[in-house]
Amino acid sequence: MNELEDIKLKAFLQNMELEKPGSGFTVQVMNKIFAENSALEQIKSEKILGKGFWIISILFVALLAAIFVVSNTGIQADSQIGQLLPEAGQGLSEGYESFFSKLGTLPLSIAGITIGVSVLIFIDKIISSNSKVFA
Amino acid sequence: MEQKDDIYYIEKVKAGQTNYFSYIVERYQDIVFSIAMKVLKNREDAEEMAQESFIKAYKSLHTFKGTAKFSTWLYRITYNNCISEVRKRKMHFASTDDVQIADEAEEMNLDGIPEENRAQAIKAAMDKLPEDEYTLILLYYFEEQSIEEISKVTKLSESNTKVKLFRARKKLYTILNELMKDELYTIL
Repeated sequence: MNELEDIKLKAFLQNMELEKPGSGFTVQVMNKIFAENSALEQIKSEKILGKGFWIISILFVALLAAIFVVSNTGIQADSQIGQLLPEAGQGLSEGYESFFSKLGTLPLSIAGITIGVSVLIFIDKIISSNSKVFA
Repeated sequence: MEQKDDIYYIEKVKAGQTNYFSYIVERYQDIVFSIAMKVLKNREDAEEMAQESFIKAYKSLHTFKGTAKFSTWLYRITYNNCISEVRKRKMHFASTDDVQIADEAEEMNLDGIPEENRAQAIKAAMDKLPEDEYTLILLYYFEEQSIEEISKVTKLSESNTKVKLFRARKKLYTILNELMKDELYTIL
């Protein structure tokens, strides 16, 4: 094949009509791009740690604090109550003791489960939000 | 409006002015759609694939360093997308020798094709080429891409691209010859 024929073929082909997509092609592409952009912005602006996470965390901290206060300062509280209401104080003290002896290590187990669940939810949130951003 | 360089629009898009991407879509939509149409053989699928290719290009625009031509990069995305889709659908990607290459193909005189029929004849002949050869001819002659650029699009080695392009060209001449003979018969 000589060079001249090659040039002619090039000229021929450059006059060839290409297939054309529908009239609204560019608009459709741009609309899809804008939709993807806004979805991406939404994902980026979405807080990784939602309201639910903070509520669970606060409840959990409150529960731990309550357990700590009750178990450490229970005797002091008993004595103060005892001074004010001797009979009622004794009753309360017995009630506390019996309540916590029945509970045993249950509060700690619940706390452990709550921590575990919170951490897993947190990890899942981070992974899913990152995968949406990179998708 | 004055036609600007691809890089101008790309920089604008990279700077956050997404609207400028529409100029790129306008500029390349026909060729991207033609490649998709040739491979998928269906207007709706081809349109969807072409759209997907542009969206993919937009999303990966930050990875475009400008060392190669933007068109080469875009065609590579389109070509890969189309081939993946063909594989996904288990369709046949024609790259086989369905057309026998005739010896006289090399001696064909293109001027022998009547001027009023040229565009039509070329299009008909191109339609008969297998997908990979159609892409090679389109990129080399229509888009004036170099062998190096085409090898980047098709992921073929440069020497393989040259060989395939040579064969595709001969095949195109054979098809044109046959078309012209048929036309001659119908006239007679």
